[in-house]
Amino acid sequence: MPDLHCRLMECFAAVFPGLGEAEIPRASFTSVAKWDSLATITLIGVLEEEFGVSVPPDDLELLVSFELILDYLRSKTSAA
Amino acid sequence: MKLIEALKILREALPPDAEPLTVFLACGFMPGHLETFLAAHLRRLCPSKAVTMETGLYGDLAGSLGRLTTSSAQAAAIVIEWPDLDPRLGLRSLGGWRPEQLPDILATAQARLRQYLDGLAAAAGRMPVALLLPSLPLPPFAHTSGSQMSPVAAGVQQAVATAAAEAAQMDNVRLANPQRLDARSPLGGRLDAKSELMSGFPYAPAHADAVAELLVSLLQPPAPKKGLITDLDDTLWRGILGEVGVDGVSWDLDHHSQMHGLYQQLLHSLAEAGVLIAVASRNDLALTQDAFARPDRVLPADRVFPMEVHWGRKSESVARILDAWNIAADSVVFVDDSPMELAEVGAAYPDITCLPFPTRDDQAAYALLEQLRDLFGKERVSDEDGIRLGSLRSASHLREHTTAGTDPDRFLADAQATLALDFSKAPDPRAFELINKTNQFNLNGRRLGEAEWQARLAAPDTFLLVAAYEDKFGPLGKIAAILGRAEASGPVVDTWVMSCRAFGRRIEHRCLEHLFAKLDAETIHLDFAPTERNRPLQEFLASFLGAVPEGGFALSHAQFAAKCPPLFHDVKEPSVA
Repeated sequence: MPDLHCRLMECFAAVFPGLGEAEIPRASFTSVAKWDSLATITLIGVLEEEFGVSVPPDDLELLVSFELILDYLRSKTSAA
Repeated sequence: MKLIEALKILREALPPDAEPLTVFLACGFMPGHLETFLAAHLRRLCPSKAVTMETGLYGDLAGSLGRLTTSSAQAAAIVIEWPDLDPRLGLRSLGGWRPEQLPDILATAQARLRQYLDGLAAAAGRMPVALLLPSLPLPPFAHTSGSQMSPVAAGVQQAVATAAAEAAQMDNVRLANPQRLDARSPLGGRLDAKSELMSGFPYAPAHADAVAELLVSLLQPPAPKKGLITDLDDTLWRGILGEVGVDGVSWDLDHHSQMHGLYQQLLHSLAEAGVLIAVASRNDLALTQDAFARPDRVLPADRVFPMEVHWGRKSESVARILDAWNIAADSVVFVDDSPMELAEVGAAYPDITCLPFPTRDDQAAYALLEQLRDLFGKERVSDEDGIRLGSLRSASHLREHTTAGTDPDRFLADAQATLALDFSKAPDPRAFELINKTNQFNLNGRRLGEAEWQARLAAPDTFLLVAAYEDKFGPLGKIAAILGRAEASGPVVDTWVMSCRAFGRRIEHRCLEHLFAKLDAETIHLDFAPTERNRPLQEFLASFLGAVPEGGFALSHAQFAAKCPPLFHDVKEPSVA
């Protein structure tokens, strides 16, 4: 699903403006200094708006890297 | 605006000369997306400003209001929600909703509102404040079903309404209109319970966006339009005057033309608040005057100036009206039912806001009334607003005399003019308004923010001259302000504005003469800069220098005295208590 990948890249670029295009696919909670709890809330808000999904609080701990979020969105959007 | 759009706006590069704009967001919840949306809407409205947001601490609205009194922010947005009145009115508290607790919830809410109002008044003394009172639905805390208002919920709502009435009257406080928010953000979609519980931010993104947009419209309101030019037939009234006669046109319920009556009523209200109203109509003048003489008319004829009624082109009428008003086209709204007339005026004056009057569509006509109120809305009605029309008639009278070959010296000598020159530095909202809306006689086009204005007045080296004018044709009110500072090399004037209504009376000469005398100065430095619109001031300066200066310069008293024409005003200075 290349479209999903591109759209998620755009979301990351908006929330983490310091990340370069090559860095975004490797971004994770531990590798990006500005990825703190406030950034997580902003990122989740953007994802919910952009992809029309609702992320339950219990799922937050799973969403700690670009790859994991991409997998999560694939599962959510294919389930829908 | 979506959240990702807001984030993108905030990533856009700033112009290198961007001026800082710091806004304090005071709220008891986590500022979250509201802070993002506020900053984005401010950036979109003020692209040349480097917007910075300051926020307070979670759960401490009272503390944030206290910090506003020492903050260097230029403006504040204060957002109060139910948990700020009592935490039990929020989702993050388990303090109890038992029936016996409800009176205490009400008492706590009343006490907190009192505390916030005091903080609000103190903050508004330093900066403009946009205030939003609780916008979320009340939680199901009372014993009644959701369909029935409980006494305690009614009491809490009453306390908020009382606070709103008090806040709306405070200087520098702009209270958000809940009706406007209701239209943008349906009540049922405002709360994001998951976000509130997870992060302490209670707004759904769409509501946060609507709140931010509303608050920014209060913090950075567009300049209100100054004049409205209206058509008559099928606009000010229903019917074609030339066909149905004076008694055939209507504006009432009986003739299904009430919207025209409401339009007249709005125009009358605007006129009383200082908006200039003129008529541009292809019609018979005598018939028109008879129609305005009907006892049931809602807009009196004496509130209309000028009345351009003839068979010529509308754009020619508009030209004469703009000349009589002496204001720019971009400050004017033109209303007509005819698309052709709107197009003709719009082509001649692209800056005029041309609006169609939807004669046969009451709903659309009602929307027009709302739109006009938005375009002309102003925070306060001043004394000057009440005398603007009279002073324009007087200015027109003056122009007629001077262009008819009357000796200007003799005319001015006979005018019995009195000029009140106040050098006291008393805070004067009218002077602040003049500085921020005058274009033509403006030393350099520079505007002042509220915080800068207050700081300038408090500075010991600042001087301020405010001039009010009156002659036998009537008062003009306060029409000029000069703001400057004393420097070691001599006085420097960095702001000088005069209303265009005051042109042609040599008020600017008298002000300058007074300034030389009061400051005991041999020279005064004028921080002049040419702008696209300050030609009248450029011509005034050129009358002393022989040419328009390129920038700031020092004017000596000798240069001034050599070229100053005779002055006939009776100068008065207010006595200092």
